[in-house]
Amino acid sequence: MPAGNDQLVPSTWQPLPGAAGAEIYPYIRKVDVISSNSFLIRTPDVILVIDPGGLTDQAEMLAEIIAGCRAERDRSVFVLLTHAHIDHFNGVRDVPAFAYPNTAVLLVQEEGAQALERGDRFLTQADMFNLSIPPIHVGVHLFASTRTDQADIPVELRPANGGRLVITRLAEDPNGHQAAHERILIGASLAVDCYHTPGHSPDSVCIRIGSIFFIGDLLFAANPGVAGLAGWSQEALVGSLTAMEPLLTGEGITIICPGHGRPITPANAASMLILVKRDALTLSDIAEFNRERATAAAVYAEDCMEEVNELFTIMAGRLDYVAYVLSELGEAGIAEDARALMNGDKVDELLDAFRVFAEEHHRGENLSVHLALKAGQVIGKLEQTFNKSDLSQIIDPGMIRRAERLLSDFTTMFRGYTPPREIAPVDLSALLDVLVAGCTIPACSDDDVLSSADDDEAFRAILIARIGARPLLEDVRFSILGKPEHLPVVLDRDLFCDLITYVLEDLVGTGSDTIQAEVRTTETTAQLTITGNAVTACAETGRCRRFLYGLSERAGGSLVAGRDESGAAMYTIQVARAI
Amino acid sequence: MTSYTKRTVWGIIVEITSANNTTATILAISGRIDTATAPELEQTINKEIEQGHRKVLLNFAGVAYISSGGLRVLLATAKKLKSPDDKFALCGLSPEVYKILKLAGFTSIFSIYPSEGEALAGW
Repeated sequence: MPAGNDQLVPSTWQPLPGAAGAEIYPYIRKVDVISSNSFLIRTPDVILVIDPGGLTDQAEMLAEIIAGCRAERDRSVFVLLTHAHIDHFNGVRDVPAFAYPNTAVLLVQEEGAQALERGDRFLTQADMFNLSIPPIHVGVHLFASTRTDQADIPVELRPANGGRLVITRLAEDPNGHQAAHERILIGASLAVDCYHTPGHSPDSVCIRIGSIFFIGDLLFAANPGVAGLAGWSQEALVGSLTAMEPLLTGEGITIICPGHGRPITPANAASMLILVKRDALTLSDIAEFNRERATAAAVYAEDCMEEVNELFTIMAGRLDYVAYVLSELGEAGIAEDARALMNGDKVDELLDAFRVFAEEHHRGENLSVHLALKAGQVIGKLEQTFNKSDLSQIIDPGMIRRAERLLSDFTTMFRGYTPPREIAPVDLSALLDVLVAGCTIPACSDDDVLSSADDDEAFRAILIARIGARPLLEDVRFSILGKPEHLPVVLDRDLFCDLITYVLEDLVGTGSDTIQAEVRTTETTAQLTITGNAVTACAETGRCRRFLYGLSERAGGSLVAGRDESGAAMYTIQVARAI
Repeated sequence: MTSYTKRTVWGIIVEITSANNTTATILAISGRIDTATAPELEQTINKEIEQGHRKVLLNFAGVAYISSGGLRVLLATAKKLKSPDDKFALCGLSPEVYKILKLAGFTSIFSIYPSEGEALAGW
């Protein structure tokens, strides 16, 4: 099936647009972190594989196609990597057609070539997957330092597979605004332009053949879980993105092939490039994303997703409750509008997808890095499922703020930053008064309802808010003992309020209709003990306890969850007094 | 109760047991009520209602999780069973599921009982 100039048909040989006599066979995978796309290109005397991928099955499939081509007409085989990350090459290691010496010649940018030749498990990201790699021979080092001062002088190479290459290092832009550029003639007629575009990795290259640009992982380089990988460089990435902007939309370019996912148009690539650059510019000083951090992110992801699951289900349920009451009141139209503020089905689908993935993780079917990346993907999509500002008019804005904070804290942590906190002196007594009032007094008073009676729109808004935002402690007998008039302590106000709200929700949600809080002080500490009168699930489950412990530490305190002598759930939070 | 029939749906994930007599239909559910199983639960409840069984008790003793889709099934059922002679209630909720229902505001829409016996005692 012939391809048009601006599209490629997957898994089919077709003319390569803009490269007379060349054909391309695109192998396009769904996006994952295990294996990249692969592209086979053939001319009468050469077969070139761009990124054979990370899976043996994929490499075997490519080897079979190559064998078919060579059976028709023997030709030399070359493998060109956009960069030496394991998901782009690991599949070839066990496939004879690639792995035996002199069968296929590997072309890799010099730093990637050296990493492969010394079996570097960090730069290749093998360590992230808990793998080691043996040294891999690279036949041709691209952008070799030995050619730096040989600008515009063609260098002919005769690699071991019997093929022929001519590499010309193009003179560099004196202003340094262009990517380093080598033109490679493979065999008699396959012209390949390579641009050195470090950032995602030190050895990343973008490859132009005919009217197609193969750009590896350039457009993913600022993503959480990708930015900060060993070898990643913000400065280099911004430089590469700047250099590639004019090239991707340059004359004659019709198709952009990323290393993962479907080919895109140059216009789309250019728009994405701007966003990636904007993100990249914000990523100074991020921590290295390594196996330890992936493991920590996976643990935090599971704790976080447990809370996300509960909060989002409650939020969606509350919205349905509002819609239900409104439709009972004959306000079907408004009920539908309210329901549309959150896509409950999408929320369920995303949370289910994460749960299935987490179960696979616990069965040993995927690694921490996969789970952390999945959480990042799900959280990114969850953020798009609800309309925050409109939703805050209907259900408790505090709940929505907590949901937002949960999502953004995970993303921040996943990015390699410490989620923000501001430990500062706070009057605990005043803070508790505000918190308890917020959980007791309805958002809209009876007076608000009465005063809006003459204005249909205002009345509807107040009615909706009154139905949607019921105070957490409205049916609860709440008392607080030992609270002095002023009690200066040091803590993060927002995180502490979140912690107390989670504790109160847990007690109310599991059936406590009487809650007692008690404040005790020593010279240096203030202790707040909150006790319900029903057994709570949370005090007994490790993950929930771990989440609340983490939250209390971030808030500047410490938490002990347990039971009092009657078996009722009891939470004790200790913070330092402000001296 | 005059008759007791048991049916299993949702394969091994969720089991629904129906007990019909002149006063109540009890659906005993186990497993997760999520994207995959909520539609099945809704169909099963609807079938009972279509057959004229308008006193429905859902025994949630075996339910460890309910999604927002599951909550919507409960609301839709409450809507269908709101005539004066109808009954709709839940019993045997785990603390996790009760918490979701309570904080979503659902406990004011239908009655929740600790056990089947306590629920049916009032019907």
